[in-house]
Amino acid sequence: MSSGVAIAASYEVPPARFPDVSPHNLYRQVAIAALRDWGLRPSDVNGLLAVPSGQGVGTIDIYTHERLGAELGLVPGVAETLNAGGASFAIMVGRAASAIRDGLADCILCIGTGKFTKPTSGGAEVMARMISEPDFEIGYGPFIPALYALVASRFMAERGATPADLARVAVSARQWALRNPRAVMHAKGPITVEDVLSSRMIASPFHYLDCSVPCDGGGAVLVTTDEKARRLTEQPAYVLGYGEAHSHGSLSSAGDRLIHTVATRTGDDAFRRAGLSRDDIEMAMLYDAFSATPLILLENLGFCKPGESGAFVQSGAIDPGGSLPVNTNGGLLSFGHTGEASGMSLIVEAARQVMGQAGANQLERAATAFVHCYGGMMYEHASLILGRSR
Amino acid sequence: MNGGPIPEVTPVNQPFWDGTAVGELRIRTCHSCGTRFRFVSDWCPTCWSADLGWEAASGRGKVAAMTVVHMAPYESVAARVPYVLALIELEEGPIMMSNVVDCDPARVAIGMPVQVTFEARGDLQLPQFRPA
Repeated sequence: MSSGVAIAASYEVPPARFPDVSPHNLYRQVAIAALRDWGLRPSDVNGLLAVPSGQGVGTIDIYTHERLGAELGLVPGVAETLNAGGASFAIMVGRAASAIRDGLADCILCIGTGKFTKPTSGGAEVMARMISEPDFEIGYGPFIPALYALVASRFMAERGATPADLARVAVSARQWALRNPRAVMHAKGPITVEDVLSSRMIASPFHYLDCSVPCDGGGAVLVTTDEKARRLTEQPAYVLGYGEAHSHGSLSSAGDRLIHTVATRTGDDAFRRAGLSRDDIEMAMLYDAFSATPLILLENLGFCKPGESGAFVQSGAIDPGGSLPVNTNGGLLSFGHTGEASGMSLIVEAARQVMGQAGANQLERAATAFVHCYGGMMYEHASLILGRSR
Repeated sequence: MNGGPIPEVTPVNQPFWDGTAVGELRIRTCHSCGTRFRFVSDWCPTCWSADLGWEAASGRGKVAAMTVVHMAPYESVAARVPYVLALIELEEGPIMMSNVVDCDPARVAIGMPVQVTFEARGDLQLPQFRPA
């Protein structure tokens, strides 16, 4: 069942370090490269969705769509700089689909670039105040890996996942990265569960290799009508299903949703709208800021029964050749985490696989792809199902 | 202890800090629907009533989630490493972030009973928890 909307093209800068490029200039470079690559002219694009840039370097620009739209000579019928953290990119596709159905636009550039620069100590405390409650959490020394570690600890206690199960997710991500020349860890060789468990402890249960790799980068997709998509490409990635939900704003206010996240709802909504079931899915992109989150998502989204995600990943199911390939570009764990643009890499990879454009890393079976992005420490969620057939 | 970030004091949370200054961990109670909730707001999250009171919690709770931080994320907590960051479920129901102090971090586990204690932080008394 199609929503009448499709991804017609994608573009991505392989993750790297661009110390001399400002956040906005990175946006400009990715935008013009994408639009030229797709063979479009300014009059072809009538929508622009972006995320705020500069979050990683402390110069947040919440008006990206205004500057970038003007620089590209666009007069869009829909344009917005939207922010739901890592969930922003699946949400962008959802917003674009709604706008197209409402007749506001029919050719929407969805774009994100990010710089995930290691902050100074002072900058890290400023960041900690931003991502935690500045009154009732900051006093306890929170930072992103430790906050995710709280979620992971509860998941492990309730569902029985082990440190080796978490490590196995990072091992799988590296296996995929070895197949993908664009992954930042492509040339770093394989890793074992033992390698992960013996890397230095950051915040239990997370070792160094349980954490994603910070870098700079970005990408874009073009969302348009089914008809226009077919004129632009032989094989569009049709948007078959979408779900979105937002539940809390801090871990202290998460309650039971700390690990029983609203991903369950967004997944159910996306499947219902697509008229598909879990068994119909041939690959999945599951936001993996840390090794534990794909396990939580596999269970919350219904790909595994509660408590079975550890055995699932240990069986090789999410690896190359497995029954449900997951994070086939190497994931944030080994492809790279491009800061505020991180979620875009999930959308781009799923679109490429479905469109048959994944190159060296192309799967034999990728007729349907499930994408799940979340923001905050799993506070807000969006699920997207892409497919080759309407 | 060895310092750390100073929490913000606002008109909304001032009564909470007034409580910790006299050794009380205060939670909010809704007079309209009876919900007990964490000190963050001046309306009830269940019914939006503004008819609220403050109540001194028992200070007893248990560890609901925990991590031992080995890598200091910023200077003001460097001297505290390794430290336990935790979510504590209070006996009365609300869940709050805290550290678990006065014990070997390796001893702390989910489900462990804990008791509130207070640590001077700037001009404030910061609630902390230790094994009960």
